[in-house]
Amino acid sequence: MIALLFYIGAAVCLFFLMFALARPQRAPVEGIAHQFVEARSSLQTLQQGLLPADLLNRIFDRRDLDYIDGQAAPEIRRLFLSQRKAISLMWVRRVRSEILNLMHFHRSHSRFHTSISILTEMRLALDFAGLLFVCRILETIFSLRGPYAAPRLVQSVASAASRLCAASEKSLAFLNVPGVNAFRGDSTPGNAAV
Amino acid sequence: MNLSSNQNDAIAAADDLRRRTLAQLPLALERLIYLASTRDYNTGLYHHQGLAQRYSDAAACEGLANCHRESFQELLSASLEELVRQLHAYAGSIGALSSNFVTAWKALEPYRVAVPVGTDPLAAEFVFSNLKVALTIFEHRLFQPLPAPRA
Repeated sequence: MIALLFYIGAAVCLFFLMFALARPQRAPVEGIAHQFVEARSSLQTLQQGLLPADLLNRIFDRRDLDYIDGQAAPEIRRLFLSQRKAISLMWVRRVRSEILNLMHFHRSHSRFHTSISILTEMRLALDFAGLLFVCRILETIFSLRGPYAAPRLVQSVASAASRLCAASEKSLAFLNVPGVNAFRGDSTPGNAAV
Repeated sequence: MNLSSNQNDAIAAADDLRRRTLAQLPLALERLIYLASTRDYNTGLYHHQGLAQRYSDAAACEGLANCHRESFQELLSASLEELVRQLHAYAGSIGALSSNFVTAWKALEPYRVAVPVGTDPLAAEFVFSNLKVALTIFEHRLFQPLPAPRA
């Protein structure tokens, strides 16, 4: 009898838990717009500022280190390595922070605006979690062993981040108004040209 | 004036600038500093009297801004070795191959105000960091003669 009551109790608890999880969440209207703008901004920062291959190749280019080694001045080598380490750490921390923003966006809003299957959602969640974890590992490696210690990991972080950007782009695609790009210029602030 | 006319004028102004003024400045570092000096720090707008007369204030501003971004991109993609060479050539071109140049650049870091608006902070910091190292190498070389080339 006690066992039966226990199972019934567990079933009721499970039912309420599933009901709470499946219930559509309503975010405040003003919050949604803000999160969309933030997600869009993170996406642009990643795609245009942090992940371009040219920039990554420059930051982690070993030829600079070879050139410094040819200078035969230990203080220059120390300065170079400390500078490049600071830049590498800045890069990985910013990638992590922008990916975190995208993950928050996906977790809270994107599922209500796009038809993503449970399987895709789970895969995305795993990708986000994996990337954030690898970013932490890379940060530790940069801190302990310098910017040139894990070139393959840098590449894999960049590739994984690009894949997540592509997935997020689909979720934010409805924000792309056709024809807006034709009006978008690189104007300086206050300039008459659009 | 419509949108495409404005854009065409800005493109023409940038081309004009590249052919005339910037052709005299072979180094990306020189161009960056020159173009940054045409920008009003209070408004962020670029001014060039000759270009504005030929095109319009807006087109001249847009053309200068585009060239400024180009120069920054060039500097961003330059290797450290190339940056040291440019720094040396720049100091030579303004007649400042001395420790005063190094002291002033180290203390004032004038390159920090030469970054185009909208540049990602990582790209800006990367260029500053490279310039800092290049300046140290340049300083080192000022006091140590270059080794003789091998036969």
